[in-house]
Amino acid sequence: MEKLLYKDTRNYTPIDVTKGIDHVTGNIVLADNEAPAGYEVMPKCKNCSNFTAGADHMGICEASMNEPKFFTYPDLVAVTCGMYKGV
Amino acid sequence: MAKKLKDVLANAGISMDLQAGGKAPDELIDREVKREPHERVKKLKNIFMDTLSSANNEFTYWYTREYMSLDNEIPVVRRAKALKAAFSHSTPAIYPGELLVMHKTTYFRGSFPMPWLSEGFYMAHEDEFYQEALKRGSASVDEHSKFGTGGGNVTKSFGKVVSLAGKFGMRQEEIPALLKLAKMWYGKSVDDLGNKYEKMVPEYKTKEQIMRSIICMFDSGFTLPQGREVINYYYPLELGFDGILKMANEMKGKVAGKADGDGMVGMNRLYNYEAVIQFIEGVQKWINNYSTELRRLINVTKDENLKKDYAQSAEILEWIEHNPPRTFREAIQMIETVHIGVLNEDAISGLSPGRIGQVLYPYFEQDIAAGRITEDEVLELLELDRVVKTSIDCFASAGVVGGVLSGNTFNTVSVGGLNKFGKSAANRLEYLILEAGANNAMPQSTIALLYDEQLPEDFLMLAAEVIKVGAGYPAFMNNRIAQEFMFHQYAEEGMTIEDSRAWAIGGCLETSACTWKPLHLNGKEYWIPGGAGQPTSVGVHFISMPKVLELVLFNGVDPRTKEKVYEPHNSKLETYEDVWEQFKLYWQKTVDVLNWTNNIQHDVWRKNNMSIFNSLLKPNCLEVGHLINELGYKYNGTFNIESAGTITLVNSLAALKKIVFEDKIVSLDTMKQAIVDNFGFKDAREVNSFSLADQEKKEGVIADQWEKLHFQVLQAPKYGNDDKYADEILLDWENFFCEDSRKYESLYARNLYPCQISVSTHGAMGSATLATPDGRLSGTTFADASMSAYPGTDRNGPFALLNSASIWDHSKSQNSQLNIKIHPTAIKGNEGTKKLLDLTRAYMRKGGFHVQYNVVDSKVLKNAQEHPEKYRDLMVRVAGFTQYWVEIGKSVQDELIARTEYEGV
Repeated sequence: MEKLLYKDTRNYTPIDVTKGIDHVTGNIVLADNEAPAGYEVMPKCKNCSNFTAGADHMGICEASMNEPKFFTYPDLVAVTCGMYKGV
Repeated sequence: MAKKLKDVLANAGISMDLQAGGKAPDELIDREVKREPHERVKKLKNIFMDTLSSANNEFTYWYTREYMSLDNEIPVVRRAKALKAAFSHSTPAIYPGELLVMHKTTYFRGSFPMPWLSEGFYMAHEDEFYQEALKRGSASVDEHSKFGTGGGNVTKSFGKVVSLAGKFGMRQEEIPALLKLAKMWYGKSVDDLGNKYEKMVPEYKTKEQIMRSIICMFDSGFTLPQGREVINYYYPLELGFDGILKMANEMKGKVAGKADGDGMVGMNRLYNYEAVIQFIEGVQKWINNYSTELRRLINVTKDENLKKDYAQSAEILEWIEHNPPRTFREAIQMIETVHIGVLNEDAISGLSPGRIGQVLYPYFEQDIAAGRITEDEVLELLELDRVVKTSIDCFASAGVVGGVLSGNTFNTVSVGGLNKFGKSAANRLEYLILEAGANNAMPQSTIALLYDEQLPEDFLMLAAEVIKVGAGYPAFMNNRIAQEFMFHQYAEEGMTIEDSRAWAIGGCLETSACTWKPLHLNGKEYWIPGGAGQPTSVGVHFISMPKVLELVLFNGVDPRTKEKVYEPHNSKLETYEDVWEQFKLYWQKTVDVLNWTNNIQHDVWRKNNMSIFNSLLKPNCLEVGHLINELGYKYNGTFNIESAGTITLVNSLAALKKIVFEDKIVSLDTMKQAIVDNFGFKDAREVNSFSLADQEKKEGVIADQWEKLHFQVLQAPKYGNDDKYADEILLDWENFFCEDSRKYESLYARNLYPCQISVSTHGAMGSATLATPDGRLSGTTFADASMSAYPGTDRNGPFALLNSASIWDHSKSQNSQLNIKIHPTAIKGNEGTKKLLDLTRAYMRKGGFHVQYNVVDSKVLKNAQEHPEKYRDLMVRVAGFTQYWVEIGKSVQDELIARTEYEGV
């Protein structure tokens, strides 16, 4: 199973590009460190059923109303996206 | 070992220790006044201190996605809907301990690119960024620990982080998306479209040459299209967002289908109100996302105090999402939200909150009287506000952010001045703003004190005491001079005596037009000031005066690049007057060309990228239905011409006049050869120091050939000594500049005016300029600001400097700028504070517009340059703004060290 990193967890808020707050513990943690087991996954495009992966950190948002479908990227946070459907 | 200039001069009996009025103690002297913020503030400040400037694509992505889907929509509505999509999708970021919530992005110090303004930078660096993104896949994030100097600047890529423009860090996994987004704006950005049309100006080639020779620093149309202005919080405070929606909806019904006598843009009012509605709905969703996140976090955190904080903040946001604030806490959150919202609308540097002590006073007064809040709680909020404002980054190009702004964002707060009725406007809340500035010394908000004789003495003494903290604020600005400037510039647009009193500082020290509006709270009416003028960050920015002189001396050819910039004048320059007249002609040519091309860039901006949020906030846009692009603001004559290197030019002209034309010590040709040979010294870049004293002599015959002449020009009359010889050259310049500026017309058909700040351009522009006739050497900085003496040349004490600076009428210009460096021992104790105030008052009474102080021991700065890791929190006043020492470039650091240090006042 793929490791879950802090930056991909629901209760992680980035402070900057390297670190952030883990709201569960209140600690400052490194973005790319592995999160403890049981942490909730952050809604991101890569975790959405509307996402079709492409090459080089890119993909397509199948829910897009644009013509052709607009691109997206796996790490785009989708907390505020009304079209997000968790895989 | 190569000899340094200071050693050469020392051998000749001339000191370059750059001290005046005494001798500094040998040991390092710290600043006298030191204070601490509240514990909660300290924790958040510590996070800031260890935070990197970070950027992501979220806002950029949603804006672009929506914009590209609306091909045939009316431009203003298209933009509003794109902004609405971007705000609505912004992920909320909450940090423990905050009482003032909401951020620009999901980072503590975050920002994002706006390729709709300019995408060229990313395209030009595409390969480089891709390589960085790919090759760094296996590197460890722990490399971060090696990141020391530069404060929060991401000057180099490391780990999984790619450096953009030497300032911002972006996660490598976002880089491909950034490049794809940038490509979507190719040919559509303000930069690209502006460039397409500015090429139609017949003199466009001259413009290109001007930019290549760094006679001008940047194009304002697509770099910072808004800023150096005062925001207006009135409508959200008085009406709330639902009230604004109600007003816009009602007005939409009134204007739909009606031109009302205006066949050009009368019909546009309908679309403008629709844009306002779309935009406000986006902002409301943005606020709602934050309150939802706060409610969620209450169930995540185990900390009971945090649960209370989150619940309280959620309740405040839920209220202000719709309604006007009722309390001080709600009001300060409202202005924070509005401020960040406007900053996300455009690339803006210098969005000043203005006189927030007077804007928030109604809430403060009533809450204190009702016991709803204590002064200590207010102080804590004001200290927190400084963390919020300092965390604001502006994402613009490397040249602008680094070379001009030194990373600063100029969210200046003004205190003092007069109220609508001509009486002192200082109030108890403004005392607390000054106290907060001392307790939590951070670069933002820097503070401008609008000096008037009516201000209470204890208020002024408190301000002088705060200066001694060494954070460089408050700066003193002259209320009388500013009011006179308001009449000079805005009489044609209906400026009244009352409105002239509402002015405040926008940006670092731009006198900005404001107005009064009646705020109602619990049945009581208060007249509060707020911005009513267009940005003043716009126009012709900045023109290097010493470089123009260089082009005069070399017949229109840049001797550094060997390229022709101007048509040759072919004058033999036989008299000083010949030089001066030709300087004026080249200057006017420069302004003409830059003004025409800038007008086109700004016109493209106003057609496709117009402001909506900032506009709707400013009177009289909501009332008249026109935004900034259709002259909806009360005051629209805000485009200006910015000079750089004033005193280096004045000293150079004085040296030419004296040495070449009057005393005839050398011919002009010989002087030119000395300039080309850099008076026998190496170039500053070769030496890697940008202050004059540290420049190294070359070896050999050429070096010795120029030694005598270099001594002579260094000892020619210099500005700053109350010596009429040099000072009257300044007077000639000011009389010309202030009148000439008004002959040029902005795209809004208003005349331009002079603006005399240099920000950090004296470093970058000095770097592209050969030696100057005053003895300054190639590549070294110019004199900073516009009224500061060149380092080490003001030998007759501070009052002589003030006399020199006040030789001309400052009210004819938007500003002037005088920076003075003082050793902490010179103003020690209460007596020292009084002396500092007396010195300042003397300058204001003579008619000087602005003075600010760096209270610091130069030895501390030298030590900080050698050991930056020990000085993360050291702040210095640069030129109208305060910045962390470690976040400013080396050339400006060198210049700050070199500035004359006054040991007594």
